[in-house]
Amino acid sequence: MLSRSSAFRQFLREGEASFRRNGLMTVAAVTTVTVALLTVGFAIAGGLNLSHLAATLNTQVEIVAFLRDGMRPAEVTRTQTAIAEITGVAAVHFVSRAEALARLERRLGASPAFADLAKHNPLPDSFDVRVRDARLTGAVAGALQGQPGVEDVTYAAQVVDRLVAVTRVMRLMALLLTVALSAVAVIVVTNTLRLTVIARWREIEIMELVGATRWFIRWPFLIEGMLQGLVAAVAAGTVLLLLYALAAARLRTGLPFLPMVPAIDLAAPLLIAMIGCGVALGAAGSFVAVRRFLST
Amino acid sequence: MVQLQRVSKIYPSGLTALTDISLRIDRGEFVFVVGPTGSGKSTLLKLLYRAELPTHGRVLVYGRDVGRLRAGTVAGLRRTLGVVFQDFKLLPQRTALENVAFALRVTGTPTSELIPRALQALDRVGLAHRREAVPAELSGGEQQRVSIARALVHDPPLLLADEPTGNLDPDSSWGIMQLLSRINLRGTTVIVTTHNKAIVDVLRQRVVQLADGRVARDQRQGLYAVPV
Ligand SMILES: Nc1ncnc2c1ncn2[C@@H]1O[C@H](COP(=O)(O)OP(=O)(O)O)[C@@H](O)[C@H]1O
Ligand SMILES: [Mg+2]
Repeated sequence: MLSRSSAFRQFLREGEASFRRNGLMTVAAVTTVTVALLTVGFAIAGGLNLSHLAATLNTQVEIVAFLRDGMRPAEVTRTQTAIAEITGVAAVHFVSRAEALARLERRLGASPAFADLAKHNPLPDSFDVRVRDARLTGAVAGALQGQPGVEDVTYAAQVVDRLVAVTRVMRLMALLLTVALSAVAVIVVTNTLRLTVIARWREIEIMELVGATRWFIRWPFLIEGMLQGLVAAVAAGTVLLLLYALAAARLRTGLPFLPMVPAIDLAAPLLIAMIGCGVALGAAGSFVAVRRFLST
Repeated sequence: MVQLQRVSKIYPSGLTALTDISLRIDRGEFVFVVGPTGSGKSTLLKLLYRAELPTHGRVLVYGRDVGRLRAGTVAGLRRTLGVVFQDFKLLPQRTALENVAFALRVTGTPTSELIPRALQALDRVGLAHRREAVPAELSGGEQQRVSIARALVHDPPLLLADEPTGNLDPDSSWGIMQLLSRINLRGTTVIVTTHNKAIVDVLRQRVVQLADGRVARDQRQGLYAVPV
């Protein structure tokens, strides 16, 4: 046990020593990984915002079911219960014709034309139906059509359908981008760490000859790679969050209707993801770099 | 101690380095492996410390089939073998003592044992007084002694030396060969490849001569070459 913990301390010391010894090389490696992680981070931030936008819009997607005139309150209640039981319905809200008129007034403002309209309220009673998921809108609308007393159903079918399609494509693109850039980052780390490994090839050769285990030989390089990944992740995370907070502030005043994930909420998942990615990329890169030099 | 049974080695390039070698070396022997450059001497040693795998046949070291060791157990084999090379393979920034201790340190030896055991090994090669010198401050012969000390630090029953005097002047070469003989007299089996005719002819040890990857001669108390 004593020798094991001392071996571990030695790994750390060697990793750190090499980190200092190969200063310029290390800076180059960390910088490249930082750039790669930044791009990955942008993809993640973009992806999170898309999900957020989709989720927000999803909950905002409403269907209006208009009722025929002269329904008795008991009938209305029965229909409401039936609608609430349709799969995919999140909420049903009864809007009386008086309430609908009041809404319209709020939107249009008091005007002579409106006063004229109000005399004979042309609006029917209706239900506002909110769906759990925008993709269910079509199905829910279809089901609503068959409910007793429902005369007409309207919803922004094309907008919703297009939004669903766009979100799916953008999610896929974000995923592909992340995968591609991670691969690039691994290659970069591998190549920079290979320089470190080459600088120490004699040591590796001797270690193998005198009977050091492969894991013993790998550890210092893995630690070094993971350290580089960690530093790069923290750097990239800081830059990204600062840029994001700036951009979010700008957008909030410029495009207030665009729902954005606040920087504070983004910080934790983004930093965790980037540190995880950075450390994993560093470890993967050094593993590959050392493997070519291990003869057994 | 060491046994080769109908061993052939064909490198991936297609080049046949060894052909149908059968050889048995017993505990306590001192064996010279001689032959022209390219005859397969280094390849023969590489099979023993498992730097290469035999293409055909079996290589037994301490009774274990080296060709069938799992990758994870190669390190264990290497700790029971000492290997010495023509180019010493010392770490230039480390002192003689650190170079020897390195072999202990990277094999998980407790820190408190490193210095005493490394010093003891340096003492066996007569270099304890030069322990603080880095390789550049040592002569070729002294550097080879440090590498021998490193090879001995795990007290291996078997010491392999691939042209240990190849880079040395005649005086240093004699010193190294005498050291290897002394190590052998204390019980370690020693296998040395060499081109040094003078030394082989004086020491009169067992000589295995390779020619084109085959054993051309295996002679007790042999000479470097068959007298004509
Ligand atoms: N790693 C290798 N790959 C391909 N051919 C090799 C390799 N090592 C040695 N050889 C070839 O095998 C033959 C024997 O080489 P070697 O064992 O080094 O001979 P020696 O040590 O007697 O000079 C030579 O022809 C050499 O070129
Ligand atoms: Mg050779």
